[in-house]
Amino acid sequence: MDAVRLHHVRKTFGRTTAVDDLDLVVPAGALYGFIGPNGAGKTTSIRMIMSILFPDSGELSVLGRPSALEAKDRIGYLPEERGIYRKMRVGAFLTYMARLKAVDETAITPRVRRGLERVGLRGAERQRCEELSKGMLQKVQILTAIIHEPDLLILDEPFSGLDPVSTRLLRDVILEEHRQGATVLFSTHVMPQAEEICEHVVMIHRGRKVLDDQLATIRRRYDPRTIRFEPLDPAADLSPLRGLAEVERIDPVPGGYDIVLAVGSDPGAAIRRITAAVTPARIEISRPRLEDIFISIVSEGGAADAERSLRANLQGLGSAEATA
Amino acid sequence: MKRIGFIAVREFLATVATRGFLLGVLIMPAIMTIAVTVGPRLMNQRTAPVRGQVAVVDPTGSVTGELRATLDPQAIEARRTEASRRAMANVPAAVRDLAGDANSAASNTAIDAAIGAVPELEVVELPHDPKALAYLPAEKAWLTEDSQGLRHIALVIVHPDAVSLAAGQTDYGTYDIYVTPNLDDRVETAVYESLREALVNARVRNQRLDRNLLDATVRVPRTPSITVTRDGERPTVGAFNRALPFAFVFLLLFSVLMGGQGLVTSTVEEKSSRVIEVLLSAVSPFELMAGKILGQMGVSFVVLALYIGLGLLLLVSFAVLGLLDFSLVFYLVVFFVITYLTMGSLMVAVGAAVNEMREAQALMMPLTLTMMVPWVLAAPISRQPNSTFSTVISFVPPVNTFAMLLRLTSSAPPPAWQVWLTIAVGIASVGAAVWVAAKVFRVGLLLHGKPPDFATLVRWVKAA
Repeated sequence: MDAVRLHHVRKTFGRTTAVDDLDLVVPAGALYGFIGPNGAGKTTSIRMIMSILFPDSGELSVLGRPSALEAKDRIGYLPEERGIYRKMRVGAFLTYMARLKAVDETAITPRVRRGLERVGLRGAERQRCEELSKGMLQKVQILTAIIHEPDLLILDEPFSGLDPVSTRLLRDVILEEHRQGATVLFSTHVMPQAEEICEHVVMIHRGRKVLDDQLATIRRRYDPRTIRFEPLDPAADLSPLRGLAEVERIDPVPGGYDIVLAVGSDPGAAIRRITAAVTPARIEISRPRLEDIFISIVSEGGAADAERSLRANLQGLGSAEATA
Repeated sequence: MKRIGFIAVREFLATVATRGFLLGVLIMPAIMTIAVTVGPRLMNQRTAPVRGQVAVVDPTGSVTGELRATLDPQAIEARRTEASRRAMANVPAAVRDLAGDANSAASNTAIDAAIGAVPELEVVELPHDPKALAYLPAEKAWLTEDSQGLRHIALVIVHPDAVSLAAGQTDYGTYDIYVTPNLDDRVETAVYESLREALVNARVRNQRLDRNLLDATVRVPRTPSITVTRDGERPTVGAFNRALPFAFVFLLLFSVLMGGQGLVTSTVEEKSSRVIEVLLSAVSPFELMAGKILGQMGVSFVVLALYIGLGLLLLVSFAVLGLLDFSLVFYLVVFFVITYLTMGSLMVAVGAAVNEMREAQALMMPLTLTMMVPWVLAAPISRQPNSTFSTVISFVPPVNTFAMLLRLTSSAPPPAWQVWLTIAVGIASVGAAVWVAAKVFRVGLLLHGKPPDFATLVRWVKAA
């Protein structure tokens, strides 16, 4: 059974099309990354999956039900903008959320205690949420998503705003829930995070799906065309390399150069000819990054500025910084 | 349904278990208690009596002497005591017991506190020119001149025909009175009453009548009426009947506004703290809305029960509990539920549509003003409970419940079918309000940024 299934789903807000003809299938037990830059339509799609928003057209099913409303007790959800009742005590808040998620009354207290121990907040039940540090609050928020041991865990930009400790904790939680059989779908605009965790990625751009495949398959499909090269002599003359038929261009990068190969070149042969022309200190085939793959798909020969902005966004820097 | 219950309980506890709520609920009874107990003690300190002179121009020659007698402090005090005795005769026995003997020192002190200490006024007769009574600049100048001794307070010009009638004349003349600026109105009242007494005494004496006999002749004491019901008889308390409609409307208005305000505040807080989406992962928007409305309804019920309880306690302590028709309490509760659900639904929608309380005020304004309408209409409806206007407005939501409650507490309650029609209309208005509110609530919850105007809200209702 598929955990999530979207078929030709479309959602508009006024004249803006947030999600356009989106097809998505997340099999049960999978670990899916839902990736794309800010404003791509990830949150809208997730809110439709959660039945917080409803599509204008298309069909949708979650855990075999036509609406998440019928399966909310089996879904854990961590929204991007996650709040908390600041005046409530931690234990009371988690108990409240567990009750709303229909956890058996006798199981709530042990689960709350176990959960707090798991995230390093043992004994925090009696503390008011407003007394906790930001990092501790983040841990409590993560707990609210898994307190009912969900079959499907949906996380919208889960690492956004997290401190390093909470980031590591959340990554462990995601992997642990996945190991225990839960289906995990999380969205992010930071590609390295997706590369680190996901088995399968769905890329979305301007409301439309642009890629949907296993991470390994994607990497295989997108041939490595870049060789990271560091000459033994930093002042070495690279002009012999520019004359090679396999070399399309040479971009200086910190600590060396990226040698972009011509389409259809054999990387092995190229490495041999490069090392023969200039003695390397280090030479390796650069693995294609999701960020590069995404940009190659969506750039469509766009302006360099737009590409830089998008790249910064996908590295988690935000478009404002990129364009500054 | 269970989820709605959990949300309602949290909402209730989050509101009730706060200092703000306790203060808000207890502040009114506390003010009343202070007003009843501490207030009189604070007012009890005797103020120094006003001392001064009242000048009289008396062409009749017989009023000045009478005025000296009636302005005497003992005479003023005697009149006050008599007036107090007459007033007390019309209040419930329990109030009379509380007030004590009308002639007691405590009673006199209370009267002094209410209407001021007895003034000590000296009467001065000014010489006058009988031909220039209409224009007396010198006499008027007396009022404003600096006096070394007693303060000049008032100038009275008695009309020549104030005591005796000329042939063919049917009405007596009276007097003109001039006073200094900022004269205490209680002193002025004492002067007026004394003048009236003096003129009557002079006229009676002029006709060689016996004032005591005359007073006895015209005195017909008002006997308190007895209200007869199927359960028996009890003294009629007019003030109770007059206050009852206003008390019930106040209770209804206060409890509905309190719950509605709580709904707006808590929804805006949840939205601005971004806890809303966490909740929506567990419940549907409608469940969230319903839970919040029910939770705050519980809060309002607590307030309503508290005030009804206090009211009943007052009635019991004054031994007038029998005056209350308990079916009115039943209707109060029914109308509260209807009005609260109608207005509460709309208010929770307002809370969901805005980002902060300041923005909520603009959208709340029409609702709050609507709630004030019954207060404005209370007097005309309770005076004419079965007029066309009163009848029609009993079926116009959301003020229908207020209007019907006013009519039910009036002296001529409406027929039963009208009451049930009001309830039916109310239930329909609840359905419509919840339908509209659910749509606005669902759309508004996750929207941040510019608050919607009325047209946008209508669009949300159509689109959702």
